[in-house]
Amino acid sequence: MAQTRLVIRTVAITLCALAFGGALTAYAFMMTGFYNVSATKQHLQPVYSFLETGMHRSVRFHARNVHVPPLDEGMVRQGARLYATHCVTCHGAPGVAPAGIGMSMQPVPGPLVDARGKWQDRELYWIVRHGIKMSGMPAWEFRLADDEIWQLVAFVRQLPDMSPADYAHQVREQPQ
Amino acid sequence: MKASLRTALLVSCMLSACSERAPDKQVGVQTGDPVRGRIALTQYACHACHVIPGITGSDVYVGPPLAGLASRTMIAGDIPNTPKNLLAWIRDPHSLDPATAMPNMGVREQDARDMAAYLSTLK
Repeated sequence: MAQTRLVIRTVAITLCALAFGGALTAYAFMMTGFYNVSATKQHLQPVYSFLETGMHRSVRFHARNVHVPPLDEGMVRQGARLYATHCVTCHGAPGVAPAGIGMSMQPVPGPLVDARGKWQDRELYWIVRHGIKMSGMPAWEFRLADDEIWQLVAFVRQLPDMSPADYAHQVREQPQ
Repeated sequence: MKASLRTALLVSCMLSACSERAPDKQVGVQTGDPVRGRIALTQYACHACHVIPGITGSDVYVGPPLAGLASRTMIAGDIPNTPKNLLAWIRDPHSLDPATAMPNMGVREQDARDMAAYLSTLK
């Protein structure tokens, strides 16, 4: 019995020491400055995937109680106008390249053509409203009204069904 | 002092050697630099739509994956995979296929050559 307790204690102390040592090594490594922060030096794939998965989980968790209003065709049209004004610079659109800034940001903002398959409506709303830390995605609640954010969600949901011609038509058709 | 400097140099060489995953040094497209091309691909957001071996990114299938591009006979469906066509496609996809959803990314000529050189290492 006493031996079992000794084994457990040794294992626990060893694990703590390893964890502390690991944290210390990571801290020391960052303090040396060897880590390259340039935008042309990519993350290792496992690091990138870890951060990306953590981001997905975070959004899913924090958006869990968002109430989604009904999204109609009129909102899609308003959303198209907002998208062309605020989003296309970084995310591009069907047949439209992002501006140079959006293309070269790391992590890359990326197209939203596949956003519907990756995110629920409430999650899209949450991302647009609160932004994503360390990614360059702004918190649009300080730039747009709440119903405008929902109009954008309504529009982004339609993106996968939109050809380059459809998009050009949507944006050109805007009365305002 | 000299010895410590030499050690520091050696260590930094080793560090950069293990952190750079340099692709094969085969230049498939004349005057293109594949090492620079790999970085250029990230700076024109190619990896935002295409999965490209050797480039860190998400699982995106907005455009087709580019693995094994150098071994393909055709690109973009039915265009012969020649260095000239690849270069033209990167610089202005609509010149080869007016209906493609891939936008013109405004790639500069040298950057396109470097990208093509990197892509030609993807056997």
